[in-house]
Amino acid sequence: MPNKTGLVFFPAFDWAISPTHPEREERLLYTRDQLFEEGIMDLPEVVEYKPRLATYKDIARVHFCVPDIKAQVTEAHLIAAGGTLVLADALMKKEIDNGFALVRPPGHHSMRVVHGNRGFCNIHNEAIMIEYLRKHYGLKKIAIVDTDVHHGDGTQDVYWHDPDVLFISFHQDGRTLYPGSGFADELGGPTAFGTTINIPLLPHTTDEGIHYILDNLVLPILEEFQPDLIVNSAGQDNHYTDPLANMRFTAHGYALLNDKLKPNLAVLEGGYAIETALPYVNTGIILAMAGLDYSCVREPDYSPENFKESPERMDYIKDLIAYLHEVWKNRETLAEQRQRRTGGYYERRRTVYYDTDNIREQQEEKVKLCAKCPGYQVIRSRGLYPTRAERTVLAVALPWQACPECQEEARDVYQETINNPKGLDFVYLQDKPRDTYLQYSVSERSEMQF
Amino acid sequence: MLIGLDVGGTYTDAVLIDHGEVIEKIKIPTKPDGLLDSLLSALDPLLQAARGREIQRIVLSTTLITNMIATNTVDPVALVLIPGPGLNPSSYKFKATQSYILSGAIDYRGREIEPLKENEIKACLETIKKEGIKRVAIVGKFSQRNNSHEQAVGSYFASHAPEFQIIMGHQVTGRLNFPRRAVTTLLTLATQEKFENFYKQVLQVLKERGITAPLYILKADGGTLPFSQSLTKPVETIFSGPAASTLGVLALTPKGQTSVVLDIGGTTTDLALILSGKPLLASRGAKINNDYTQVRAFATKSVALGGDSILRVNNNSLEILPQREGPAYCLGGPQPTPTDAMRVAGLTEIGDERRAFECMKRLGASLNLSPKDTADLVLKQMVKKIAQEIDDMFLSWEQEPAYRIWEILQKQKIRPQNVVGIGGAAPAVLSLLGEEMGCHVLAPPHAEVANAIGAALAKVNLRLSFHFDTERNFYFIEENGVQEKLPFPIMSEDQAKDFCFARLRQEGQKLGISTDEELELVYSEVFNMVRGWRTTGKLYDICVQFPTGIMENWLEERKDQSAE
Repeated sequence: MPNKTGLVFFPAFDWAISPTHPEREERLLYTRDQLFEEGIMDLPEVVEYKPRLATYKDIARVHFCVPDIKAQVTEAHLIAAGGTLVLADALMKKEIDNGFALVRPPGHHSMRVVHGNRGFCNIHNEAIMIEYLRKHYGLKKIAIVDTDVHHGDGTQDVYWHDPDVLFISFHQDGRTLYPGSGFADELGGPTAFGTTINIPLLPHTTDEGIHYILDNLVLPILEEFQPDLIVNSAGQDNHYTDPLANMRFTAHGYALLNDKLKPNLAVLEGGYAIETALPYVNTGIILAMAGLDYSCVREPDYSPENFKESPERMDYIKDLIAYLHEVWKNRETLAEQRQRRTGGYYERRRTVYYDTDNIREQQEEKVKLCAKCPGYQVIRSRGLYPTRAERTVLAVALPWQACPECQEEARDVYQETINNPKGLDFVYLQDKPRDTYLQYSVSERSEMQF
Repeated sequence: MLIGLDVGGTYTDAVLIDHGEVIEKIKIPTKPDGLLDSLLSALDPLLQAARGREIQRIVLSTTLITNMIATNTVDPVALVLIPGPGLNPSSYKFKATQSYILSGAIDYRGREIEPLKENEIKACLETIKKEGIKRVAIVGKFSQRNNSHEQAVGSYFASHAPEFQIIMGHQVTGRLNFPRRAVTTLLTLATQEKFENFYKQVLQVLKERGITAPLYILKADGGTLPFSQSLTKPVETIFSGPAASTLGVLALTPKGQTSVVLDIGGTTTDLALILSGKPLLASRGAKINNDYTQVRAFATKSVALGGDSILRVNNNSLEILPQREGPAYCLGGPQPTPTDAMRVAGLTEIGDERRAFECMKRLGASLNLSPKDTADLVLKQMVKKIAQEIDDMFLSWEQEPAYRIWEILQKQKIRPQNVVGIGGAAPAVLSLLGEEMGCHVLAPPHAEVANAIGAALAKVNLRLSFHFDTERNFYFIEENGVQEKLPFPIMSEDQAKDFCFARLRQEGQKLGISTDEELELVYSEVFNMVRGWRTTGKLYDICVQFPTGIMENWLEERKDQSAE
């Protein structure tokens, strides 16, 4: 039996953020031409699936959408997210060995609270897929490797407090690229310390450097974590021709990465060199996932000797790997120290910027520190919109792993808040143990349930 | 008067039609190894019935290509590939006599990204000559966007080996899919000569009979072509038999409905779908001899279940096996079959009733069922299985991938209104099936020669798929390999559509399609090409056609008759 790779190809040829935006109809057009001309869909190792629409409940399992889900998602978003769910089902039913959702719009910059579009993303396709798999198939430990050039700050936000999700992102240093985060000392909340690993790379890092990191840091950590599922958050903008970033990764580098990483599911993220990179990178990834020879996939101007690392960048990489190994090794002790330092609740404040929609969000987050479970979180978020309007919401997030006491407490917080919702526009409860998602509108005094 | 002739694997069917009426119909067994004989045996009685009145056209459908491929009597062809980057070309398993791989590459926009190497071309030619192969198919990846590599290799071969028959991929099909283009090109060249020889014989015998009516050939997509036009791509005439049957059903059932076309034979049950009056096509092209091609063909499904399938009881449950060991028991065969069950259930009068009862009794013994109950169980199971297969066919149509939001939102769950039996389909099984599926059962008059009727009434169809690249100032036509500079700047989608329609009429005229035939827009897509936040050009993909269908006057005249 050959390897079976599931493929959902949803290029959304009738959807764009705006006519000249990088996230426009044309983005996967040449990829389509290359894949179709290649005859990829006819290969016995490839099974093409048609996407379906994700439901609002699938989305509510991950996001608090302000003012509501309908305002944040278009049909294209539902189909892109739904495409990942089709592959998740096919994987669990063992129809396929692995799958690649080649869909747009992307999602890895979407955080739990969604006031608008940031980094071209409204909702988080991978997180929606992972939470669906955890709910419907009981998967627990998940590893997400973000291979997009931008820091997967949405993924980091969704899983910051989840000790069962290992999130590893390598990306161009946040000091030189959007979204300006993803530094090596961002390692997860106190209840999930060390399960967020950020690998910021210097601009112009090449195949050699990235594969050195993969071999010496990413793969060993994955091996130790022993996840039930590996997800590749598969951006393609580390490519040396990408117009929005400055790295020097190649189609062959991407294919080899997937060959080594062996993700169960990969989901397309960014990548905007629509002619010079995407047709080749996508062909390479699919062949690699299908266990086929990808050595003949190459860009017209590719020559391997152009993608060797400089000694300076190599020193930087080795140094970074040593630091992160140290953190990984001692993560449990470090987590304990942090919990002691902050006491009964952990709090953080931050500002989130939505570049596409020009929204500023102020967030205060409180995490219950519980000895038996990862606790629950209460987020107070104020969105400041370009129209000078603003909305303030309070969201209670109750994770799968919550203990009975935390469950009860979190539900009480929600109840008490809707009884006295002063200063709030919406109140949310994301009750994963019950798979029930509530949204209370203060002005309408009504509750929606998914 | 119109003549339709379908020389199938088992039967040869023919009809003579005049003003919406079937004047004469013939059904005779096809003689093995005698396509021409079979054809004449069916044709001659029709000519007699025509009694010298004018015949407007003769449409032929034969298994010629199918037989050639099945018996591997196609001509030897050398395949020269220019694959460029992508899959490792050594993994291709094309059934060419010899395959060669050349350097050189074209990209998706039709730009050269790697030049040809002349020494390789030269060496390739020497080897082909040494092998003694005279036919060469040259196929490049993205040659439909830029054929210069295929042309360069082709003209080098032509000038250094004038005895070669050369065909290039872009001449055969321009749809995206290099491996399918290679197979289709290969098959085209491998069948061309024998196809021409056969039909020249047909023309000769027609001439001997004093027939001057033009000869048309039916294609797998249900369209027909003047014989001379079919010579360039004979492989398109493969599977014309099932296409003929489906067209026949289209002609014999109410317009615009959704029907399942069902042909229950001895070993198999063949299925085809008509969705709201349009026969369903295999989305990317037909599968021939286990190879994917770009031959447009109706989507058909052959289920290994027929009147002669073997029945047995295994572990206390009844099974219908997917094979045949001879005729039904009631017709002197060795095993109980669904045909015996029908006999016992009183649904047919074929065969020896006593023998039918005898075998049903034996079959039902271990199940503690009477012969009658056993027969009912057999039929119930058979009908369930067919209904399931039909349902699967609709399901896989629904699950066909779609790349646009509107396509995904628009595709509704459709189920058939009619089950239409053709060929020898037992009306008895049909009515049970109709009950099971909750739809009408149609057994129109002349259903047993629906295929010949379909052939007789098939319209000439023509589809042209255009690709415009206004940045490169080029346009391309998939079906005929046209790659030309735009004669004037295309400024809007409407202008592009007008251009396509005008070209379609022009090409249609060459095939004898009347100018007042209805044109159809199949799809139209526009992509803005944005470079550095500025629109630098547009890509249009526009497909227009004279659709597949049956001659309108048949429908009108037939309506008149039923009104009387």
